[in-house]
Amino acid sequence: MIFWRVVENERGMAYHDPSPPTHATVDDADLEFVDETVERLGRRTEAVIPILQAIQSHFRYLPREAMERVCRLTEITPAMIEGVSTFYTQFRHRPVGEHIIRVCHGTACHVKGSELVQDALERQLGIACGNDTDAKGLFTVEKVACLGCCTLAPVIQIDNITYGNLNSHRTGDVIDAFLAQDCEDKPSDLTAALHDGPVGEIRVGLGSCCVAVGSGKVHETICRTLAATGIPAVVKQVGCVGMCHQTPLVELIPPGGGPSKLFARVQAQDARAIVLSQYQPKNLWRRMGRRAAGWFDRFLSDETPDPVADRAIDVRDRPVCAFLGPQQHLATEYCGQIDPTDLDEYLKHDGFKALRRCLEKLSPEQIIEQVHASRLRGRGGAGFPTGQKWATTRAAASEKKYVICNGDEGDPGAFMDRMLLESFPYRIIEGLAIAAKAVGADEGIFYIRAEYPLAVKRIREALHKLEDRGLLGDRVLSTDFRLHLSVKEGAGAFVCGEETALLASLEGRRGMPRLRPPYPAESGLWGRPTSVNNVETYSVVPWIFRNGPEAFARLGTEKSKGTKVFALAGKVARGGLIEVPMGITVRQIVEEIGGGVAGGRKFKAVQIGGPSGGCVPAELADTPVDFEALSQVGAIMGSGGMVVLDDRDCMVDMARYFLRFTQDQSCGKCTLCRIGTRRMRDILDRICSGKGQKGDLETLEQLSRTVGAGSICGLGRTAPNPVLSTLRYFRSEYEAHLAGRCPAGRCKEMIAYRVNDACTGCTLCAQKCPADAIPMTPYARHTIDMQKCTRCDTCRQICPVEAIFVE
Amino acid sequence: MPHLTIDQREIKVPPGSTILDAAEQVGIEIPTLCFSRQCEPSTSCLVCLVKLLPSGRMVPACATPAAEGMMVESESDEVHAIRRSTLELLLSDHLGDCVAPCSFGCPAQMNIPQMLRQIAAGELREALITVKADIAMPAVLGRICPAPCEKVCRRGNLDGSIAICELKRIVADVDLDSAEPYLPPRRPASGKRVAIVGGGPAGLAAAYYLAQCGHACTIFDDTDALGGMFGREIPPEKLPRDVLQREIALILRLGIETRMNVRVGRDVSFTELRAQYDVVVIAIGWTAAEQVPPWCVGVSGGGIAVKRRTYETNLPGVFAVGNALRGQGTTGIRSIADAKEAAVAIHQFLSGQVVIGTSTPFTTRIGKMAQDELVQLSSNTAQVPRCEAANGVGLSQSAEQAARCLHCDCRALSTCRLRKYSAIYGADPRRFKAERRKYEQDIRHADILFEPGKCIDCGLCVQITAAGGEDLGLTYIGRGFDVRIGVPLGHSVAEALAKVAAECVAECPTAAIAWKKG
Repeated sequence: MIFWRVVENERGMAYHDPSPPTHATVDDADLEFVDETVERLGRRTEAVIPILQAIQSHFRYLPREAMERVCRLTEITPAMIEGVSTFYTQFRHRPVGEHIIRVCHGTACHVKGSELVQDALERQLGIACGNDTDAKGLFTVEKVACLGCCTLAPVIQIDNITYGNLNSHRTGDVIDAFLAQDCEDKPSDLTAALHDGPVGEIRVGLGSCCVAVGSGKVHETICRTLAATGIPAVVKQVGCVGMCHQTPLVELIPPGGGPSKLFARVQAQDARAIVLSQYQPKNLWRRMGRRAAGWFDRFLSDETPDPVADRAIDVRDRPVCAFLGPQQHLATEYCGQIDPTDLDEYLKHDGFKALRRCLEKLSPEQIIEQVHASRLRGRGGAGFPTGQKWATTRAAASEKKYVICNGDEGDPGAFMDRMLLESFPYRIIEGLAIAAKAVGADEGIFYIRAEYPLAVKRIREALHKLEDRGLLGDRVLSTDFRLHLSVKEGAGAFVCGEETALLASLEGRRGMPRLRPPYPAESGLWGRPTSVNNVETYSVVPWIFRNGPEAFARLGTEKSKGTKVFALAGKVARGGLIEVPMGITVRQIVEEIGGGVAGGRKFKAVQIGGPSGGCVPAELADTPVDFEALSQVGAIMGSGGMVVLDDRDCMVDMARYFLRFTQDQSCGKCTLCRIGTRRMRDILDRICSGKGQKGDLETLEQLSRTVGAGSICGLGRTAPNPVLSTLRYFRSEYEAHLAGRCPAGRCKEMIAYRVNDACTGCTLCAQKCPADAIPMTPYARHTIDMQKCTRCDTCRQICPVEAIFVE
Repeated sequence: MPHLTIDQREIKVPPGSTILDAAEQVGIEIPTLCFSRQCEPSTSCLVCLVKLLPSGRMVPACATPAAEGMMVESESDEVHAIRRSTLELLLSDHLGDCVAPCSFGCPAQMNIPQMLRQIAAGELREALITVKADIAMPAVLGRICPAPCEKVCRRGNLDGSIAICELKRIVADVDLDSAEPYLPPRRPASGKRVAIVGGGPAGLAAAYYLAQCGHACTIFDDTDALGGMFGREIPPEKLPRDVLQREIALILRLGIETRMNVRVGRDVSFTELRAQYDVVVIAIGWTAAEQVPPWCVGVSGGGIAVKRRTYETNLPGVFAVGNALRGQGTTGIRSIADAKEAAVAIHQFLSGQVVIGTSTPFTTRIGKMAQDELVQLSSNTAQVPRCEAANGVGLSQSAEQAARCLHCDCRALSTCRLRKYSAIYGADPRRFKAERRKYEQDIRHADILFEPGKCIDCGLCVQITAAGGEDLGLTYIGRGFDVRIGVPLGHSVAEALAKVAAECVAECPTAAIAWKKG
């Protein structure tokens, strides 16, 4: 069984220079870097975030001398630089350890024990309370909101290497493995040999999640195999297939077409055998080599005696069929089939046909009319009619207008925008271009969170290619339409997903939302009319123009049309990225697509909409996916995170988890959100630690309603939803906590670990207990000293006979 | 011209007006903390929330444009409740004492920190005026008061509390010894007559305050000397009789009549007294309940029964103060405090107002401070120990001793808008219990005291310093609950506020940025 794995990862590169860390002192020579950076990025105030990002990637933190130098050289004032650099969590003001460990605290990781992982890491590294770096300065441990690898939860990232499926007693092994790995070869640039005649195609998923479980190495091995054997096949990297529970996925298509073969959970050591099983090497010598290699593989691999049979899955297999069956791919059209970076392939698949039609055949009014007719609503969460937003922007009188793609997906437990940006960059750009034509904009910006380096890279590369080919620029598709697009990276602030905060961030300010009206469609970036739409919204626009608005409006319910992409994770058997027609029920998603709750536990609820959403209890699982229906039951469509919970998940803890998140991400501008969410959290902290008092639930409920009614922006107004929805459906769990009991056995302060008669006295728990709370008593039933116990759960996980239980 | 209604009142406003402008136009007071006409609305404090009908949306009045046909609700229970909650949330994170612990602990609620600042500045006359606003006989009390104020003085946990009582005595002695001792101003005669039964501390103090209000006071005493138990029970070594007599004489100079050796009930009947005077104040000293003369006043366990805040007995126009209420052992300061509070109620009664007495002033409280916080708090004060000389603090030491004060009180007591609206909306500072922040202050500016714990993050100073061309100015540091207003890049407030300090003090809705002098 594979618990964790060392893999290469492209993520995190934006943060780090691969060069060794610099020292805390900064001399004049180093400051020359600042001068160059300012020269490169400009002296205007809006350059502050890119300048700080560059300084940090050079120094690994923000030295004060460097910031003061920026102020001397630019229009940026000390007040601005201090305000901005302390607002965004990406920026560090202290030198860091040699390596950075990021512990993901996304929803899926949380329900699978990320707190325990964090505790274990800090314990093992001897990091004292209040510190983040160990005494030797080797490791800095950081909490991150979400690494977007929800199906591999819990996940940590050490520098650029991701480790998934962790638990508290394996963190030590992970650190050892990290330190032991010497600089392995980076994947070399292996280009496939040129072949005459029909060639096969091998598709390897290279989304961030896939890379995190090893698809980079699989890709490399396949390339090496082809190079060594001369097999006539090309390797193609494809975007996300969505079957994250099966990654890394490899699909082999025979030369000349024909039914393909799909292999799941392929690891590097299996890849060669799989390739050789499907293709004939070119000559006898190599054929012999193949046989020997196969024999050798079988001989060496004790894990998988027959990787070919073991890894193969069939799309007609029941689980695969169930997973893919109810899905409909609009936003994710051609998923797993096309290379995200290959413009020609996109063009072959009707790429830019929709834009061409909009430019040549339709007036801007007609474009907006078609979007109206499709009844598309914004996919960012609130579901505002897209046509209406475009019409308002179009109607606003201004010479200059902007279109913006909101790629600041920050909900823990949601990663569909990242997948779409990574897998379908051209389609999203096409959607944005159509919007620009419709509203009358000649400039557009992709605002993408810096935590998504691969998405940033893919969009940047795509923009370059499009400009080179005349598909963007002064004469788009050889028409008079002019459009220039650029990418801006966020710097770690969830609230920047709110459109007015996003605009503030683009202008180089602290990402604090402002009161609307005026809406950005009337007065947005630099006071100009600006249409801000979500990634997924743009990604379905080309489909609408190619297939007609009626086709889109035929899908879904009365008020919610088309499809919705969800990140399905948590305690579900088959997690992944899915696209379903609106109107499908939550139950269908969990049970048919997701294969029900994993591990035979009981389905308790689904958390939909992340920190702005709510929990839909199992009894209400027949609620359809529909903006209005979901909000009626206390959840929201949100951006599409769907985390399945089972009977071992504590709903009070869930409410607290989300509230901690929003409270942590509050911009701090308005009283109700800044202090209100904090006081809500104080109450929940009390309840979860067994110190709840009479009247706490009433105060909590009343405060929730006040914060929801009065906060300035959507973050504050929706922050109480997870609390209100759990109070609505699971009030008895809150009451149990007030009485000193956590029914799910999750809240640390209210549980105890016990040993039952099944104990064989194997001493494994005593050996592994990090707190020495279990005396070693060979062949006798063990006992746990609850005074010493830290509730790290290691003993329960390690026990081979399930003799340890929680009460 | 948009036309809207606020609380059903029709208002026409010029285009570009906000709901707040519209409300101001018709005299509806919508509270604001973070709003200033000089600055862009920051919609931070949210105490100006109003409800829009029929949608029910709550919006900040300061930044929401008044639109045609808008229906706004401001003075309703629901809107008030949300404003109150907002104020309570701000208070839960507002680290400051409106009233210093010493004043809070003083039964007469004397403004002790102000007195100490005046003494430290050598302004003894001003200090005496401060004292006499709350304490009628400071020279006497300066010698006999058990000084509950000193027991709660924060510096007591550091290197000895401030010698408050001694300093008060010095101020009073200097005044008594002067050629023209201070006499508070008297309002024009009201034509009302007050009979005060008993010439002890409570009776004298009642006369002192009522005379200042312009009421004609007559003290009836059945002995031949005023001063009551002060003269009878306190040994002369502790309270020299000439001090007592001179302080009593000073009070009488306000135009108070005395009828010595007259016993009410024997020489003049209580009924007669009630008929001849508009108000009768009973200040007869300690009297067991069963011994209260049969004047038909109600009694309870300790003595005469009165209403808590107004000191009214069951008889209309009859009030009672001092030991007559409580029985033996009440301190002199308590009796004098009674009289001061009762005088407020009596004045209300005599001028035909609703009699409500005094209300406890609104205050937030920091509570106990940690040692390191105290060290910081004391860093801007005189670093000398408390004077423990057997013969008391000398005049020459008084300024230095007074300069030991930590100034726990708020510099902006009368201007703080958070306090003003918290009092109006009845906000409870303790509704949301929470761990408090660490107390900090920045004293590096010559004139400005910066206390970030009092800041409500309204950002007015950030805007003012940016617009005022400060090189550094102030900025938001951090995010969310942890956001603080501070000086960029580790510089000090002295460098940050080089040009527009006065504007910042004037606009700060609390005392986060205040003059050191108060």
